[in-house]
Amino acid sequence: MLKRSRHAYWISRFATAPGGIRWLFGFLAIVLCCSGVLADSDEEFFEAKIRPLLIARCSGCHSAEKGKTQGGLALDSQPGWQHGGESGPAMIPGNVDESLLIRAVLYGDDGPQMPPEDAGGKLPDTEIALLKEWVKRGAYDPRVTVVRRGGLTEEELRAWWSFQPLHRSQDANPSIDAFVLARLKSEGLTTSPEADRRTLIRRATYDLIGLPPTAEEVDGFLANESPTAYESLVDRLLQSPHYGERWGRHWLDVVRYADTAGENTDHPIPDAWRYRNWVIDAFNRDLPYDQFVREQIAGDLLHANDPAADYAEGIVATGFLAIARRFDHDSDKHMHLTFEDTIDTLGKTFLGLSIACARCHDHKYDPISAKDYYAIYGILNSTRFAFPGCEAKQQPRDLIPLLPPAEWAKTVEPYDRQLAAIDAELTRLAETGIRKTQLMAQRDELVARAPVREFAYAVAEGTIANAKLHLRGDPEKPGEEVPRRWLELLGGQELPADAGSGRLQLAEWLTDPTNPLVARVMVNRIWQHHFVKGLVQTPNDFGTRGQRPTHPELLDWLAGRFIESGWSVKSMHRLMMLSATYRQSTGDVSDEGHRKAIAIDPNNTLYWRFDRRRLSAEELRDSLLVASQQIDLSSGGPHPIPPTSSWSYSQHVPFAGVAETNNRSVYLMTLRNRRQPFMGLFDGADANATTPQRQVTTVPTQALYFLNDSFFHEQAGQVAERILNQPDDETRLNELFRIVLQRLPSERERETAMTFLSQYLLAIADIPAADQTRTAWSAYARILLSSNEFLYLD
Amino acid sequence: MHNKSRRHFVQSAVAGSLLLPGLLSEMLAAHAANAGNPVAPREPQFPAKAKSVIFMFMSGGVSHVDSFDPKPQLFSDHGKQVVLDHPETRNRPGYEKIFLKRPDWKFSPRGMSGIEVSDLFPHVANQIDEISVIRSMHTSHSNHYNATLGMHTGSFTFARPSIGAWLSYGLGTSNQSLPSFLVLAPQMPYAGTQVWASDFLPGAHQGTRVLPGPEPVANLTRRVSSSTRQELELAALQAMNASHQAARPNDPQLATRIKAFETAHGMQTEMPSALDLAGETDATLGLYGLSRGQNDGFGWQCLAARRLVERGVRFVEIIHTGSSGNWDSHGNMADHGRLAPQVDQPIAGLLQDLKQRGMMDDVLVVWTTEFGRTPFNNTADAPGREHHNWGFTSWLAGAGVKRGYVHGATDEHGIRAVEQPVHVHDFHATILHLMGINHEQLTYRHGGRDYRLTDVAGNVVKDVLS
Repeated sequence: MLKRSRHAYWISRFATAPGGIRWLFGFLAIVLCCSGVLADSDEEFFEAKIRPLLIARCSGCHSAEKGKTQGGLALDSQPGWQHGGESGPAMIPGNVDESLLIRAVLYGDDGPQMPPEDAGGKLPDTEIALLKEWVKRGAYDPRVTVVRRGGLTEEELRAWWSFQPLHRSQDANPSIDAFVLARLKSEGLTTSPEADRRTLIRRATYDLIGLPPTAEEVDGFLANESPTAYESLVDRLLQSPHYGERWGRHWLDVVRYADTAGENTDHPIPDAWRYRNWVIDAFNRDLPYDQFVREQIAGDLLHANDPAADYAEGIVATGFLAIARRFDHDSDKHMHLTFEDTIDTLGKTFLGLSIACARCHDHKYDPISAKDYYAIYGILNSTRFAFPGCEAKQQPRDLIPLLPPAEWAKTVEPYDRQLAAIDAELTRLAETGIRKTQLMAQRDELVARAPVREFAYAVAEGTIANAKLHLRGDPEKPGEEVPRRWLELLGGQELPADAGSGRLQLAEWLTDPTNPLVARVMVNRIWQHHFVKGLVQTPNDFGTRGQRPTHPELLDWLAGRFIESGWSVKSMHRLMMLSATYRQSTGDVSDEGHRKAIAIDPNNTLYWRFDRRRLSAEELRDSLLVASQQIDLSSGGPHPIPPTSSWSYSQHVPFAGVAETNNRSVYLMTLRNRRQPFMGLFDGADANATTPQRQVTTVPTQALYFLNDSFFHEQAGQVAERILNQPDDETRLNELFRIVLQRLPSERERETAMTFLSQYLLAIADIPAADQTRTAWSAYARILLSSNEFLYLD
Repeated sequence: MHNKSRRHFVQSAVAGSLLLPGLLSEMLAAHAANAGNPVAPREPQFPAKAKSVIFMFMSGGVSHVDSFDPKPQLFSDHGKQVVLDHPETRNRPGYEKIFLKRPDWKFSPRGMSGIEVSDLFPHVANQIDEISVIRSMHTSHSNHYNATLGMHTGSFTFARPSIGAWLSYGLGTSNQSLPSFLVLAPQMPYAGTQVWASDFLPGAHQGTRVLPGPEPVANLTRRVSSSTRQELELAALQAMNASHQAARPNDPQLATRIKAFETAHGMQTEMPSALDLAGETDATLGLYGLSRGQNDGFGWQCLAARRLVERGVRFVEIIHTGSSGNWDSHGNMADHGRLAPQVDQPIAGLLQDLKQRGMMDDVLVVWTTEFGRTPFNNTADAPGREHHNWGFTSWLAGAGVKRGYVHGATDEHGIRAVEQPVHVHDFHATILHLMGINHEQLTYRHGGRDYRLTDVAGNVVKDVLS
């Protein structure tokens, strides 16, 4: 790779490291401290002569502190030169002739000549003499440092849990409960009793499909005495078409899905929905996760020769790349930022690694080098991203036809030719006549059979080229070319000579079974959405700035099971949801064990109970629409976006469409620059950056929503309508509780409700008598729909 | 029912619940003080000069050389050709040659300090002795969208939390019946809601938009016809929540939400009362150029801002215009002459009003725009000016800021900030410093990295500190 470079000599034989982690290049040393007391003449000599010389002559290219270690060599610390560049130590103290550094400054023929011509050229003889003297005297150097790879010392790298292969459990009968109980036992704790059945069905239903169970489903489950009733429930929910809408939404959070491009005008993306629906469908059919990953990186290439339907799906899946955020006035000119956004999202989504931190310099905390970043950058730069339009260029471009090229040639092209021929002849025929009438009829007939031209907002192979480093992240300052390849941390595989962009290989590298991160990261996400928090509580960061797993053996066992299951996400749901850990209650304060557990583990990191959770923004809105029976449960399609020919968005007048719908919330239009107010209020995902975990904030402006929002009042009114035809207040109340909370009111609640109703009727004595009952029941519906019991799941 | 007794009624329904005497109120009390409340007031890192900020943002790019940055040589060199590699003129057809353009307003020394201000802002000019003018501002982008984003978030590309969100995160707020960060923005600015977003910071820190008119904050207006009805509903809801909670103690989320309803109920009266100018004297209204009963315009925004910081809101941003009809006077600088009178007297009135009330010791007033305007054009007689990010003017006044002071300078034509340049990051660092926060230490861990408002840059402009 570097064979022809000036630095060839410094290439090391250093190729492997334990733990399946291989490093070829790039050693970095960071000066941790430079202290010392002037004591002897060696030190005086170093400080007076050598330190200034090294700074003046060498630090431009060989300073770890400055993030420049050409040839892997850092000369700003003792361990830096002791470890040396890729050829080993730069100096052998006392041995002037054998020291590579001295040979280099002497401009010998058998190695590099330093400093190179373009960096000042050969040193004056006086300075060479000083360096020789330094080596001869033992190369005294007080600059203490630790050698690092990216942001880690070698020892730290070998010790960091997430970079190690999956640990195989030695237990005879490993299970979620066994792992959890073992940890609990060591603290003298145990799990809580199983939750009651109503709680269980509500929990399972919301967790899997994001909707409440109906009162009838709850009744049926309560009455079902079969030992497999719960298992059947889970299986039924996994078969629901609404499952993908819930779990697809989790994925769309992570990949920062939006229906607009996010540049200065926030151009709409009329075809983004196809990717959204592909994700939902992929979850519904339990597309193996490794394949799910590969499709999103290289679906077009994987299905290049497949039948039309598969071909189209492969194209659409790469919408993952295309929906990257765009920037500025002319977004074509800022693709380096779009690639940064893509690398950031790709690294965090699939690997739990913040690769984009290495755009300007080697990662400060994780073993990711700037070269790693630009190796992936080159792959994206060799890919043609669909262009959404922007202020400088309004119309979209490079959208990908959903028909395979051969089909296109067979259907669309002949049609276009025929139509053009007819139109040409029509133009020639100046006068009306039989021929013209015939032609018009022919034309109509042809147009009626026009082939469908559908496009995806996706990617295709582009102009293949390696990228150059951007020095300090500045695209105007190109550095050396970096071959497209995989992260060195995960093997550093290179591309074959005949590779295209490298996306096909990237898809394979990502899902290589020896890559321990992909399975760990995904099972952690699944766990997180069932248990409210991940086993790793920084789900997008498995690097050293992230948190360690609370149950490492469990995480690895799950990851192993995930792979063995053929990467079946649904099998993971079953495994987790059938565990006793999942089925336990949120705890009973009257129980002594509970009180003890709260004292020992207040945050429930050991899972001695189930964590209560608030409904997400989508679950809240969907639940309101379900209660009011206003929900449209059909699958959402494209948004009503004006035709592209009419676009003239500017930063002054950006796209700001709103699309009202009673579809499920996952189908709401998501703008990047104008947040949907409801989603903003209830902690919806930020469409500008990957959201691994929704925040849960509780603020008064949310309470104002329940007090005064028109949509909320409307739904509550519709809920009241559902019960008014019941014969008496008692049945109405029962029905209202069943609709909203899927249970009957307690005696006390019945009394309170009746008192409320009578007081409320007095307060509305001034409105027409015919409206009073409806008004009072609407008020009570609002109370139930505002209650904590409605908003929080036990 | 009288307001006070009404609130008491709801409070007693919540805290003194028959079902749960003591327990709930104890939880609420304990909870209000702990980290469960993201906007609970917090001590600054070091003694702060200012307790709150009024951040005035002029959208579109106010011309510095026509307002606060006097350039006699720009008058005398009018029409002279200059050679520059400027982002606004580079590779732009018709801009092969560029010529200096004289300012359209004349400058004269004002106040005791003798700082020169143009006739564009005569009222503000009269208050110049209260102000630290920073004439050496510069920013990293010459597009509205990016520069506006940068002035609010320190990021010119990616979405990041707004300065108001950072301060809410760092300091919380003292009035729990009002949000910590309010944005009086009648029109949507460039970059949309990203301007006041909390991004990765908890949602409680996002700016709440306040609009002139009957419902200044979304869902603020009571929808049911009488307060009695609403109180009955709230009492029933809180009773139900209390009973739900009784079986689930130790869950701060539930307690916080119960408290939130109480606060929201208060906010329905607190916010309109904060924005109700009826109690202001004619003299005060006059300061802002407001007529009695007027509830819109920049004068309304300024006076509302004073009333909000008076009630303990941490950060109030007031935006003049939005992404259109703004200070972006490409076509003709005369348009500045239309816009300036909309803000001039209100700004001066705000400064006078704060001073009269002794609030200048507690409130930091910031006046800025996203960038300046070019001191040159592509023809010698072009009447407008283009976007200019190499040099512009912002100013600070109030708590902790030198009075009647000029910091930094642009070159003789107002083209580049040459003396003591102040980048947006430095500007942000200075605002945070005045609020008692070291900008390098206000960080938030997100995606494996500690983020801060000033990214990896920013130096406090010590010269403007009093």
